Amino acid sequence: MTTVFIAAASSNPILPATGEIVWSVLSFLLLLLVLGKWAYPPVKKMMADRAAKIRNDLDAAELARAEAQRTLEEYREQLAQAKREATHILDEARQTAEALRADLLVKAEEDVTILRARNQEALRIERQRVIAELRTEVGSLALELAEKIIDAEVDRAASQTLIDSFISEIGAAQA
Amino acid sequence: MLSAGINFPPISDVLNWRSIVFGGTPFALNKVGLITLVAAGLTLLLFFVAGHQAKLVPGGVQNFVESIVDFINNSIVYDVMGSEGAPWAPYLTGLFCFILFCNLFEVIPFIQMPATARMSIPAPLALMVWVTFIVVGIRNQGIGHYFKNAVIPSGVPGALLVILIPLEILSNFIVRPFALAVRLFGNLLAGHLLLLTFAVISEAMFVRSIGLVVLPLPFAMLTALTGYEIFVSALQAFIFTILSALYIAEAMKSQH
Repeated sequence: MTTVFIAAASSNPILPATGEIVWSVLSFLLLLLVLGKWAYPPVKKMMADRAAKIRNDLDAAELARAEAQRTLEEYREQLAQAKREATHILDEARQTAEALRADLLVKAEEDVTILRARNQEALRIERQRVIAELRTEVGSLALELAEKIIDAEVDRAASQTLIDSFISEIGAAQA
Repeated sequence: MLSAGINFPPISDVLNWRSIVFGGTPFALNKVGLITLVAAGLTLLLFFVAGHQAKLVPGGVQNFVESIVDFINNSIVYDVMGSEGAPWAPYLTGLFCFILFCNLFEVIPFIQMPATARMSIPAPLALMVWVTFIVVGIRNQGIGHYFKNAVIPSGVPGALLVILIPLEILSNFIVRPFALAVRLFGNLLAGHLLLLTFAVISEAMFVRSIGLVVLPLPFAMLTALTGYEIFVSALQAFIFTILSALYIAEAMKSQH
């Protein structure tokens, strides 16, 4: 321990040495000069450029996002529009079909009515024709039958009138 | 006796280094001078490599240098000086790196000497900061205003000024640079001697086999202190830089 104190006394460890001061000042000033002029700016510029790029990229991404959102809204709107149109078209088609059905129904009913009336008319005419034929036939038959039964000579013309009036009576009674 | 076996080197042997070249002249270059040159050179090398790489996604050296630049800019320049401090960023970055690397040689094997443990480094640096903030103050506020603002506190009764003016002069113009230098110097000198002490004890126990049983204790302490000294190196560089920034920022704008 004694040697330490002797050494300390001979050369004060706290006092700076001239050569060290000179070299430290030179080193530091050189460092500041070169750093400030050539070494620091590129690094700082790179960092600033990167920050700017990131900011730009973020802005661009935000723009793109907004654009995408807008397009999505547009598509949604178009989809909704298309749906509305489709519903409208369907409704129209349904209405048209309904109207058409009603028309057809009415027309069919009319046709049926007309057809029925025509048939009845035909039936009525046929019936009259048949009745007339029958009337003639029945008259002749009855006359022949009477001729044979009474076996007598009867005036045909006078008998025919009698028969006709008879059949008319029958027809009136039937109707 | 145990202590008889431990041979502490004379303190001048671990602080005062023989000159390598230019011995006897004011330009005598010794180990400490060489360390300051290497610290400056290393800082420049790192910055040139980082600036040369200039990749969009930084890695390696560029990442390290950008972390330092970012740290100085955000934690010191903008926090302490605001946006007007931007032009001072290179100066403060240089100051921080120079002190940090000078300090870190404390734990670099075979060198193991913090250049800042010699008053030859903290004193001129503190002096430069002192000159800088005074010049900045005079340039920004004018010589009369600056010294008036610096030594006369506002809102103080006249009678108190008699006591306060000398105190302000003392604290602003004498204690500041002195404290700046002594804080750095004292911390690094103490760290250096502490590491030395535990290294000497470990060495004595191992080489002379006088206490192999208790060897792990001083050796563990040496290891832990080495880690601690790395932390102190960074911390002291940061403190020196942030205080310099604070003094310059104060000089830039009057507080009164």
